[in-house]
Order: sequence, then structure tokens, then C-alpha cells
Amino acid sequence: MVTRFKQAAIASALGLVAVLLAASSALAQSTDTYSAPRAWDGNPDINGVWQAIGTAHWDLQDHQASAGLPELGALGAVPPGQGIVVGNEIPYQAWALEQKQANWDNRQGEDPEAKCYLPGVPRATYLPYPFQILQGTNKIMIVYGYAEANRTIHMDKENPESAPLDTWMGRSHGIWEGDTLVVDAQGFNGQAWFDRAGNFASSALKVTERYTPIGPDAMLYEATLEDPTVFTRPWQISMPLYRRLEANAQVIEYKCVEFSEEILYGHLRKQTSE
Amino acid sequence: MNYRITSPKTSRKLGAAVFSVFAVVNLIALPATVFAATPHHIHIALNNASEAVRWYEEHMACEATAGRNDAVLCGTTEIAFIEGSTQGGSQGTGVDHISFSVVDLTAKMTELENVGVRGSGVRLQRFDDGALVRDIPGLFKIAFIFDPWGTKIELVEDTDTLGFHHIHLNSVDPVATLQWYGEVLGGTPAALKGTLNGLQFDDVWILVSAYTDGRPGLTRGRAIDHIGFEVADLDQAAEQMSQQQVQFRQQPMVPENARSSARQAFIQGPDGVTIALVEPGWAGVVEQVIVADADLATELYIPPKTPWGEPDLQGIWTGDAAHGIPMQRPRDVAGSETLTTQEAAARRERGTLNSIWGYDREWRDTTLGYVKSAPSTQVAMVVDPPDGRLPATTAEYRQAAANRPPRLPPERAEGPEDLGTFVRCITRGPVGMMMPGIYNNGLQIVQSPGNVAIQKEMIHETRIISTEPREGLGENLKQWLGDSHGHWEGDTLVVEVRNLNGRTSYQGSSENMQLTQRFTRTGPNSLQYQFIVEDPSVWAQPWTGMFTFVRDDSQYELVEYACHEGNYGMTNTLSAARAIDAREAEAAANDR
Repeated sequence: MVTRFKQAAIASALGLVAVLLAASSALAQSTDTYSAPRAWDGNPDINGVWQAIGTAHWDLQDHQASAGLPELGALGAVPPGQGIVVGNEIPYQAWALEQKQANWDNRQGEDPEAKCYLPGVPRATYLPYPFQILQGTNKIMIVYGYAEANRTIHMDKENPESAPLDTWMGRSHGIWEGDTLVVDAQGFNGQAWFDRAGNFASSALKVTERYTPIGPDAMLYEATLEDPTVFTRPWQISMPLYRRLEANAQVIEYKCVEFSEEILYGHLRKQTSE
Repeated sequence: MNYRITSPKTSRKLGAAVFSVFAVVNLIALPATVFAATPHHIHIALNNASEAVRWYEEHMACEATAGRNDAVLCGTTEIAFIEGSTQGGSQGTGVDHISFSVVDLTAKMTELENVGVRGSGVRLQRFDDGALVRDIPGLFKIAFIFDPWGTKIELVEDTDTLGFHHIHLNSVDPVATLQWYGEVLGGTPAALKGTLNGLQFDDVWILVSAYTDGRPGLTRGRAIDHIGFEVADLDQAAEQMSQQQVQFRQQPMVPENARSSARQAFIQGPDGVTIALVEPGWAGVVEQVIVADADLATELYIPPKTPWGEPDLQGIWTGDAAHGIPMQRPRDVAGSETLTTQEAAARRERGTLNSIWGYDREWRDTTLGYVKSAPSTQVAMVVDPPDGRLPATTAEYRQAAANRPPRLPPERAEGPEDLGTFVRCITRGPVGMMMPGIYNNGLQIVQSPGNVAIQKEMIHETRIISTEPREGLGENLKQWLGDSHGHWEGDTLVVEVRNLNGRTSYQGSSENMQLTQRFTRTGPNSLQYQFIVEDPSVWAQPWTGMFTFVRDDSQYELVEYACHEGNYGMTNTLSAARAIDAREAEAAANDR
């Protein structure tokens, strides 16, 4: 709740209070009515294989269909989709909006996903692949199929420790607030993007994630993104995550390195034309 | 400094034997009568005695003991050192840490923080809130540090007792342990600051914390090898202890190379603590030898269970100890079951130097103040066949290998595909991914009911092993690391790896390889890992490799090994190859 009040306070200064409050009350309604099964420690049991549905991995914001690589025909096109940004606006500072546009223009060579780089947070969550949550004794591990990405959420630290070094996936500390797993993720290296549209942040990014069960097979995923060097105010994304219901659902290894080598090293290939 | 091993006791299980030499001897030189024994010494493992003397002089206000280059006096307490290597730090053993009291703890911690961790520096442990110092209501301020050799030290601000303050034990039953020390060794039951129950031996306290993660580790072979007590009449003490059913590890005797004619005995205390008893005048041993007892360690050990009742393998482990163990038994050590610690240390050093000179030290030991666990004395990873050699290869394999075109050397690589999957940051393969190297040997295990996630730091790869029967992947869905099917055999996690894509090879293995892995906790800080390789098209019989991961939660955290993201080596290698092409083309043009 602290985070939400803080959100509201910051937003009201910017005249956006109505939008955020509406979102909050919608969340409260869905989370109050469901009581999740319990894990060994009495907290909600969120073990299992989960996945996002939608087009957030293409673009966090509302987006129309657009063309992709012509060689791929319609296969390469960007499908249209509704955004997951609360209020649909990402409050970039002026320079950062230009950078985002530049990222979009250069996305085919510059998107870290094209290079099979680690996805960062929150991008790992809504990539179109399953991930598995393991609630251990004092750590929660999230294992993603894409690029062997992995997060350890430290549940055994009273207060977040500063990251020993900046990384793609950052350092995560979690606590339970009622039935919500609240994760503080910081210590990013600032190289990850949020989506294939070039949305981004810097190494000053702080992500506060909230995972709240809203039914036996669904969780609400909310993340507040703060980065005073890139954005004019904190902003929020919100989307459900769905349990993969197939009896044999499991995280499939997606080692994509070899598929990125042409764009990374193709210019260093031996030229065979005599 | 010289030291040697006398008759190291070896375990029946190859590689499980551990023995170490080292020391901190804590001498409380007080006149003693039987029963009141007085604390006499604590043994801590390290690898540089004179450096340790300097460290304790500089940071703990101890004074070098006259006439000895391996001991310091801290108030009335003597700490002595013998070179050797440890099997790990003191934390988590029966003697978790020792404690010193200072006048101004905050100032002391600032001073130590400025020392830094480099070289023989000081490693500081922060509390969960990030602070170095915590004020315990009703007691005093406390802080934790580690010496460079893995000894955990608690610093307290207790102005009633400055200097050496207490010995802190771990116990599955603290009340019984305090009672045992009181009955066997004397000491006065008392409450520190009126709140914390302990035993007082003059101005040195013995305190005990409850240990809940299975049993504490045996002290022998760890940073604090043992604690010692002086008794006025050792024969009388031994007689009384025998009546108390105290187990003697060594009867009273004057050890070889003792500096005095005083005798020493060893008894087994509760919770795996080795305790020495010495006569007045004891002045240590030149070239002291300490032998850990792996059989005893295994026998005493009960692996913990997760809260939901499965064997608990969770934690941070490292393969550092196993780095340097060759896959096959070298011909020149055909007869021995284990190496000496000197041989093991030299072997690991060779392995490091053979890789990239100096990399090892710069990457971890110095930079982050990380103390590696002692090198394993295991002779070879192959434990079956019993001769430690891989079985003979089949004629079919040898023929195929002879006909295989040689691989392009890196400087001839025409594209990324010509370089190995490890160089390309794809994988080291299902067998190779577990193997120790010169750095980034971290292994993190997290479990949830019915699942075990095994994460390796190098390259960063994670496998989720279901321990319940599951359908698994269809036969047309192959993976680099396969599909792991696990089950528990007693406390052992057994993993069958199916659906391998066969694109990596280990020691010549083919795409038909059947891999089985076995993970067994053999002690609080040891996780034995076995891998059984069956590949009839390559080897006439299956073979088994084995090594042990060492638990290292207190100082190790897996870093994000963003291998591919930072793979400048690929660009450099390929651009070098193209430069060579260009140079050769130019030379050829000039020749025309």
C-alpha cells in the first residue's frame, strides 16, 4: 500500500490522480475476493509455470499493426495490441523520448533481444515464453526459458542490500504484503530494453513488482518503474499472468545465442567469394 | 614454512578423505586445578602462519608470543598458527566463531573497513539492514568479521571484558552442551550481562547458539580446528573423563616435535567439536599435523529436510575445491588413494597457471576478499572403473574419430560456428556445465515441493529437475542440457537426463549418451556429485565420475555471468582470424 499511496501522491501533483486511483480500485476489487492456496510457510503458493499473454513484448503501449522485415512478409509484422501501461503514457524526459525514437528506428540491430541478451526486468516477465517460479525456503527463484535468464529473489534480507555490481537482471529482494509478493529490483546495468519498441531506462532504474494471486490460475502482475534520470515521474504497468495448464507444461530451454551470431559477428565471417 | 603429513587417515570413499594442517591455538595461561580446566587453545586453519601472526597483532591487538613465530597472545589468550589449508571457514561448525571485545566498536569497524579486503585484509559481514554494527538490547553492540583464512570473529563492545571475549559454539541442544562443558571441563554457569546463559572460565565466556540446519560441521579440518583446555593434572582429568564416558580421540602423550615435555590429549566434545587437553607448560608443536576424519563426519551427519519434508540441498555451493582434479587418474599416482594437501594445493595452482596466469587471484580471491575452500585431495574424478581410468573406447568410435576432419584452430575460424560452444557462450554441455574451473564455480540450488532448480554460475545455466514422475518432453524435442527427470533415493537426488540434442561431447561422448547424476549431502558443507555416463557406441562399459561441492553461503553469491553479452572474445578471435587472412593474402600477392 505504501507504494500505491506514494504513486497517488506523485500523480496528483501531475493531475493524473484519477487514472491511477481508478486502476487501484479495480485491482483491490479483484484481489480482495480471492484467497490463494497456501505454501508451507502460510504465504500464497505461486509455485508453477506461468506466462503472460498479449503483445506487451512488442510494445508496452497501445500500438497499431505495423510492418516488419519485408523478407518475412506478414510473419515479421508487428501485431496490434492494447498497452499495459497504466494511463498508457510513459513519462519520458524530452531527451529520453528522442532516444526511445532512435531505439525504435534502429531496433533491428540494437534491440538486446535480437542479440539474445538477457532481458532485464520487467521485460523477462512478459516475453512470450513460459517461466517457472520456485518458492524455496529463503529464496524465490524465477527461471525463464529465454536466454537462460534467472532471478533469485532474496526473501531472507530485512532490507535490500545494494547490488555488488550492476547487472542485466538486477538484484531482487522480496517480502509478502498480505497475499502479494512485493519485489524490489535494482542494480541494473541500464542496457536492457522494455520491449521491441525501444522503451528503455537507465542503470538508475528501480522496479517494484507486485505479484498477487487473483484466481487459481492467474496472478496480477504490477510493476512501478522509477528512474529520475529518464522519466519525469514513476509509472506503472499492470497485466495478468496465467498459469500454463497443460499437464506436461514445463520451461523449455531457449538458448538463442546461435541465432544472434549473424547480426553480431556476421561482418567477421570469412568471405569465400574469390 | 615446512609442514608434513603423518599417516593421513584416508576414507574408503576415494576423494571423501580430508585432512588438513593448521592452527590457531588459544592459550589461556592460568594456573589450573583439575575441574576447573582452563581454556587453552583454539586451532584455526590457514596458509601463512607469519602473516596470521601479523594480522592478529595488527587488527586484534594481540602480541607475538616470545620464542615462537606461529602464535600470538591476546590478553591472556594465546592463538597459534600452523601453515596448511582449510576445508572451509569456521561458520557452521561446532565452534562457529571466537570473539574479541573493544572499547569503541563503531570506530573499530570504521578502521577495519578502511583496511579493505585485499591481500590479507578484513572481510566485514553486514547485517540484513546493511549496517556493520548492531546494538543488542540488554547486551552490547556486536559486529562480525572474518580473518583472511575463514575464521569468523565477533567483535563486541563489552567494557567489562576487553580483549579476547568468548568462544561461540553451535549446538543442536545448547542446554545439554553447556551442561557437558560444565561437568567435563568446569567453568561457572553464569549469565552474560544477566541475560545470556553461558559458562565463564575466568574472563573468557563459552556461549552456545542453537543450530537448526541438521548438525553443525565437524571442527576438525575447518578454520577453527579445535579448542584446547589446560588441566593441572592430565592423568587425573583423563581418569575422571573416562568415568564420564567422554570419548578420547587421542590418549595423553607428548607429540613428536613438541616444544616442551608437556603432554596433550584429544577428546570429542558435543556437536563435532574436537577438544584438546594439555598440561601446564604446553607450547605447541613444530610442524603440527592435524588429520580430519571423513568417516566420522559422514557417520555423524544427518542431512536436513525442507519444511515440506524433502531432503534439503538448498544453498550456495562451489566447485572450487574440485578445481584441478583430473578426470582420469594420472599414471604416476597409481597406488595412492589421495594426495597430500601440499600436492593438492600445487595441483590446483598448476591448473590455474595453465589456464590464464593470475586470472584466478584477480578475479575473486583478492578483488572480493573471497577465501576459496581448500583444494580437494581426490586423485581423479573417475571412480568407476576403480582404476580411475576411462574404459577402453570401442573400435567403432576409434574409427569414426580417425575419420573425423580436424577442427579449425581459432585463428582459422571462418565464422562463429567454427568455435566451441563454450567459447560461444552457448553451453559447456550437460556433463561439462557442472565441472569446476578457475573461477565462477558457484552452484545455487533452490527447491520447491517436487522441484529442484540447479543453477550454475559459469555461462549461467539453470535446470529445473522435477522429482515427481512426469511425462517430460516428446522425443522430437531435444535440448542442449536435456530434460531432467529426478527422484529421491533416500537422501540422494538421482537425475536421469533425457532428450539431449547431442551437439556437445564430453571426453568423446556421442549423441547416444545416457547421463545419470546423483547429488548427496555428505556433511553440512559438502555435496557429493556423481555422474554416470553410458555410451556403448563410445565406451564398452559405463563409467562414473565424482567430486564434491563445498557449501559457501557465508561469503559466496553467484554473480550474473553475462557470458554472451560480454563476449568480446568472439569479436577479437574472429577479427584476428580475418587479419591473418588479409596478411596472408597480401603476402601471396607480393609473391606473385
